[in-house]
Amino acid sequence: MIKILLKKQFLEMFKSFFYNQKTNEKRSAGSVALYISLFVFSTVIVLGGMFTALALLLCSSLAAMDLSWLYFALFSIIAILIGIFGSVFNTYSGLYLSKDNDLLLSMPIPVHAIMISRLLGVYLMGLMFSGIVILPAVAVYSFVKFSVLSLIGGIILIFLISLIVLILSCLLGWVIAKISLKLKNKSFITVIISLAFIAAYYFVYFKAQTIIKNFLENAVTYGEKIMSDVYPLYMFGKIGTGDILSILIFTAAILLLFAVMWFVLSRSFIKISTSSAASANSKSGALRKKSAARQNSISKALLKKEFARFTSSPNYMLNCGLASFLIPILGIFLIIKKADISYAFNTLFVNSAGLKTAVICIALCLLATMNDSAAPSVSLEGKSIWILQSLPIDPKLPLIAKLLVQILVTAVPLVFCSACAAFAFSADAVSILFMIIIPIIFALLSSCFGLFIGLKMPNLNWTSEITPIKQNIGVLIAIFGGVLFIGFMFVFCLILVNIIGMAACLSVVAVIMLALSYLLLHWITTKGANIFKNL
Amino acid sequence: MLTIEHLTKKYGDFKAVDDLSLHILPGEIYGFIGHNGAGKTTTLKSIAGILSFDEGDIKINGLSIKTNPIECKKLFAYIPDNPDLYDFMTGEKYLNFIADIFEVSAASRSALIKKYADIFEMTNSLGNPISSYSHGMKQKLAIISAWIHDPKLIIMDEPFVGLDPKASHILKEMMREVCNNGGAIFFSTHVLEVAEKLCDKIAIIKSGKLIRSGSMDEVKGDDSLENIFLELEE
Repeated sequence: MIKILLKKQFLEMFKSFFYNQKTNEKRSAGSVALYISLFVFSTVIVLGGMFTALALLLCSSLAAMDLSWLYFALFSIIAILIGIFGSVFNTYSGLYLSKDNDLLLSMPIPVHAIMISRLLGVYLMGLMFSGIVILPAVAVYSFVKFSVLSLIGGIILIFLISLIVLILSCLLGWVIAKISLKLKNKSFITVIISLAFIAAYYFVYFKAQTIIKNFLENAVTYGEKIMSDVYPLYMFGKIGTGDILSILIFTAAILLLFAVMWFVLSRSFIKISTSSAASANSKSGALRKKSAARQNSISKALLKKEFARFTSSPNYMLNCGLASFLIPILGIFLIIKKADISYAFNTLFVNSAGLKTAVICIALCLLATMNDSAAPSVSLEGKSIWILQSLPIDPKLPLIAKLLVQILVTAVPLVFCSACAAFAFSADAVSILFMIIIPIIFALLSSCFGLFIGLKMPNLNWTSEITPIKQNIGVLIAIFGGVLFIGFMFVFCLILVNIIGMAACLSVVAVIMLALSYLLLHWITTKGANIFKNL
Repeated sequence: MLTIEHLTKKYGDFKAVDDLSLHILPGEIYGFIGHNGAGKTTTLKSIAGILSFDEGDIKINGLSIKTNPIECKKLFAYIPDNPDLYDFMTGEKYLNFIADIFEVSAASRSALIKKYADIFEMTNSLGNPISSYSHGMKQKLAIISAWIHDPKLIIMDEPFVGLDPKASHILKEMMREVCNNGGAIFFSTHVLEVAEKLCDKIAIIKSGKLIRSGSMDEVKGDDSLENIFLELEE
């Protein structure tokens, strides 16, 4: 029974390697090999290579200082964090909110068999993510300071870390599942958490050199501090060096924790796994708020509907509206770093203040290309497109609403950022005017272009919204089309700013963009509307 | 109310609907029956303005759906066989969205939403996202959204699928009420007993062609609708 369930579990986990997610057709052998190779390359070679390099950098120095335990403690913490980060969302969706829980529970399958298959899936995911970190660490240590005991300790450490990841993933996954069933604005919270992770990632990425340097310089001090304040961490690090006492204590403790987790989970699995969103909502009695109904105009109703679509999906917001979150941050950054940035720009454009303004405008436009909500918006109608098609509305109205969403979520933060840029660079009135209007017109143009592509390449047959949002060639064309246009704009300004002047050059750019926007808008409201009506 | 004249709809070389003509008068509940793939949904989608068609015309109160789609759509409501609604909205937001599009006043919509939500026992669920609804609840919501703008004509594709017996009974009463007030209903169904008891007239379609239509007596005489349907299908 467990074998059958495991087969199903693995098929589900690795389905994308064998089946085309868009068409549900089986991939060719060559295609499967290519996908698996890409996966192996990205995880083993790139990520594993990155941590191997880090291990090589730290291992010899720490081992020489007799701080091998600190080396293993550090890599263990990173491995646990990455393991949890990689598998917690899988636990959340795979263990607690799995769509086939009801189906499996209705069949004559022992609950423990379902749990084992689910947990093994989570375990392997955690092992994979934590292994990317801890495997190179153990391998490098064996290479630098080999002993049979340390090799055994290293292997046990890999196993224990994978168990810790499993236990913590189950715990955190349960918390996330519980929270997600109760939250009202979970899309925004998901977006904020994702952005926090991205920010943390880039922070660590940019500060990595400094952190490592600082760590190596003060390793002895840190080691002493950990030994006195967090003794269990010292003991845990000793596992990797082959310290038998540490191995025994932690193996026993972790196995005990695992047993407790198994006991708790087996007692509550049915209850948790059948707490679907629907039942949770009805149990919590999410009663309708008695609010005064208000009549909206058709255009406003359509715009509200499009905004509701956009804000309901973290995938949609993160992939097609990231600039709306980043642009204001950049604006604030410009104000904070006013002196440095202003100095850098003034030095770079010492002979051409006009080009400086043009480059700032182009940089703002470049940021706007990260927003492309209009491109997948037609495909995102999916099977519910019949609603707009059967309603008594001009088919161009929903399209205009789709355009407006992208324009508004892009232009508003852009105006803020332009104002910040104007302040940071102490721009004159003419420059300020262009810093505001050029990005806004570009937002209009890129929205029109995105929707044009969306109408030309619609895909209404999808099961996961990721398909129209990410796995869509039209979206790629919309983004890269925008970047390409900005490239032309840059070359155009580079050549002409010093000849005809900044104001004239940017005015020409604005007129070209407005003319292109007009043409696209005309097409959208005529031919595009006809396409939309007949999709 | 609804006139279908020589409707033909092709998918490539395949004629899904072939020269179909029907006339539905105010006050009539008109049933549309046929085997799977006979062309019922294609016909209903063509009436609703979702599908364009190759030949013929469809008129609602004398207005052609081809030339006056918006004016026509203001007169009817359409409920598809599978109510794929906006999962990202709550039931209440969806109803308000539909009411906005049909320009239903705030006071009127509040009263109608309350009335129909109470009737279908949906009041406590309207605050929940549609994604959490069962098929039957989505069907009820689609029905409420169709009724809240007081349409003259209601086009429904398999409206009873997924509804519990009580909701089915309520829907039948609501359909009769629409017709008593001068409206008309055109709906497809596979449940012949329902068609027999509820409809004033029926049309039977086979492989895209209308093979029989008229009042219940004209179509079935003294026989049962099931026997007539099976005979015609052979």
